[in-house]
Amino acid sequence: MKKVLIIVCLLLVFASAGFAEDFFSTSGRLELRGVLPLQETDTEPEYPSLLGILKVDTTHPTWRFHMWLEGGWDGSVDLPVEDHGFIKGWDKVYQSITPFLDFKEIYGSYANDFLEFRAGIQRFSWGKLDEYPINDLLNPWDYSQFLIKSLENRKIGVPSLSARLNKDDWSAELAWVPILVPYRLPLWTERWSVYPGIITMTKDYNAEIINQEPDLENRSLEDSSVGLRIQNSGTVDWGITLFHGYDLHPVFKTSEGGIYYEDDKVIVYPGALPDFHKMSSFGMDAAFVRGDWSIRAEAAYAIGRYFNTKYELWGYPANPSLGTFELNPNMHKSDSIAYGIGVDYRLFEDCLLIMQAQQTMITDRPDTLYDRKYETILWAHLRNNFMNQKIETNLNMAWNPEHGDTMMKADLWYVFTDSWKTGIAAVSFDGPSQSLFGRYSQNDQVELDVVFSW
Amino acid sequence: MNKKCAAVCIFVLVFLMLPMAYAMNGRDVFEKVQAVRNSKLDQKVDATMMLFDKGGGKRTRTLTMYGKDASPEAYKILIVFNSPADLKGVGFLLHAHTFADRDLWAYFPEYKRIRRIPATSQDDSFFGSDFSYDDLSGPPDLDDYSFKILREEEMIDNKPCYVIEVTPKKPRKYTKYITWVAKNLWIPTKVEYYRDKELYRSGTFKNIRVIDGIPTPFEMEMANFKTRHRTILTIQYINYNTKYPNDLFTQKTLERGAK
Repeated sequence: MKKVLIIVCLLLVFASAGFAEDFFSTSGRLELRGVLPLQETDTEPEYPSLLGILKVDTTHPTWRFHMWLEGGWDGSVDLPVEDHGFIKGWDKVYQSITPFLDFKEIYGSYANDFLEFRAGIQRFSWGKLDEYPINDLLNPWDYSQFLIKSLENRKIGVPSLSARLNKDDWSAELAWVPILVPYRLPLWTERWSVYPGIITMTKDYNAEIINQEPDLENRSLEDSSVGLRIQNSGTVDWGITLFHGYDLHPVFKTSEGGIYYEDDKVIVYPGALPDFHKMSSFGMDAAFVRGDWSIRAEAAYAIGRYFNTKYELWGYPANPSLGTFELNPNMHKSDSIAYGIGVDYRLFEDCLLIMQAQQTMITDRPDTLYDRKYETILWAHLRNNFMNQKIETNLNMAWNPEHGDTMMKADLWYVFTDSWKTGIAAVSFDGPSQSLFGRYSQNDQVELDVVFSW
Repeated sequence: MNKKCAAVCIFVLVFLMLPMAYAMNGRDVFEKVQAVRNSKLDQKVDATMMLFDKGGGKRTRTLTMYGKDASPEAYKILIVFNSPADLKGVGFLLHAHTFADRDLWAYFPEYKRIRRIPATSQDDSFFGSDFSYDDLSGPPDLDDYSFKILREEEMIDNKPCYVIEVTPKKPRKYTKYITWVAKNLWIPTKVEYYRDKELYRSGTFKNIRVIDGIPTPFEMEMANFKTRHRTILTIQYINYNTKYPNDLFTQKTLERGAK
């Protein structure tokens, strides 16, 4: 908390040149949201949410201050079982959102014709693909309500320094994240928990599940991540990306778990701790237009990624009883190659079809992995606006052919005025319990939103 | 002496009558329109866009537009929305290598991503308004159209106008345009857009003021007869001869909202 406030004060001082010009702007958004789960689960009950966003920007041409503050009460989970900080931090994987305050971005920047330098909490956007951009690796993701949130909403702002050099059609950006910022996961008891199997194992006990945090106390500069991106824009926009840092995909390291009877209640230690591993990645991307088609593509070779084995091999006891249980080693290291292509095609005015196909190949895959050697995701998104964008509809479909799991999302927004709009959204998942979409097959839901923005 | 006088008089008369003998055709008129358009490529415009739906609902957008004569290439344009909150920071960048060959990009802060837009989308609605990308995308390539003067002395807003039928040579959303070009000012005061024989939308250009010697309509209204929706674009501020550097018209400044 103190550190964040110090950073804010420093950035305000740096940005004073911008304020001196008496030229800054604010904007914001309030969102009231109610979710109706369509299946009964043993997870915590959910309540309506009220979320707010405040953005502050100075518009001084050289010095700039930018802040994106998000907060509110997210009713997607009941009160947490542990004490959690009000302001989201960079030292915990499991963090409460009832209530919360999160600096998604807050940075000061200096820019001239050739150089832009930024310091603060930043979110980067590298690469060209949607949903799972292959070279967009600097920001870890928040996996709570995963797949409901847009890509940008999933990204966790990281404390970082970045410099961007621009010359004609070329630009080079160097970014440094000095500490390991962990990805965030939903609490074990939440509906969007990644491995709900633990709930099934313990539901007969009416147990309290401890969200075991990894030990991140001794992080040092050696735990930093760095990325370099060189881009050229022209008839074909293309770029190359080098990254050395922490893999943003979550993996768990199994150790010793246990079920104990303490203070008149049953306590479960799942024994699976979120784990973090460095990897290196070399990637390329390109975007261009051919006739009516806007085309983009990405590819990357990643060295030293970790993958979890199948959940059933972790060694959880089939008939859990009080006491300690040992879990099996559950990780495998391999390189991977990822590639994908996306296209935009305007079917008719204000109706855009966005399609994307991407595949990841695990170069050294043992049979113990749930992931196949080739994992494919096919996406289709149909966005249609009516009445001069007073009504917007979106239909999203995703399919993973290797496991046969699917996701379908549909939403409809109606814009009343420049400030008020309302929307309804539905989402449905289907597939095997460990597949990307199938793991949420108990999470079909309908959602209502009312948004006020200024 | 008398013969000499007569010869001089005949010469002067012929000289004076030459322009009358030369009647302008539609292409000539649009060459002059194009010359006016080319003279205002360097510009900064702050404008308000008001969208009116058939039920009387009104939405307001403000935007800033920067333009540059990019010789030896044609021109560059950067448009950034300042409001409402949902559109703030949304931007549109155009590089016209020639008047016929354009690269277009759009930036959406919500996604933090720049998307390339096919030039074939030029007739589509510009961010929900009744204007198209093409309406705000600088001068066209005259070779892509044929021109025919229909009438020569029609009055619009007390201004005598040429009425010219403009027909695209390549397939476009609109099969023809009827354009009223103000004589002496060489700017359109009204344009009707037809799909086959059906009038689809109509634009009127009013409150014409001369800024730095360039006639400039400060109020542009585009009405769509199909949807009964209309958009009024009002210029709040305009400055020509701005001579912005090339650096303003890059993807970097598109991402930064032209800052």
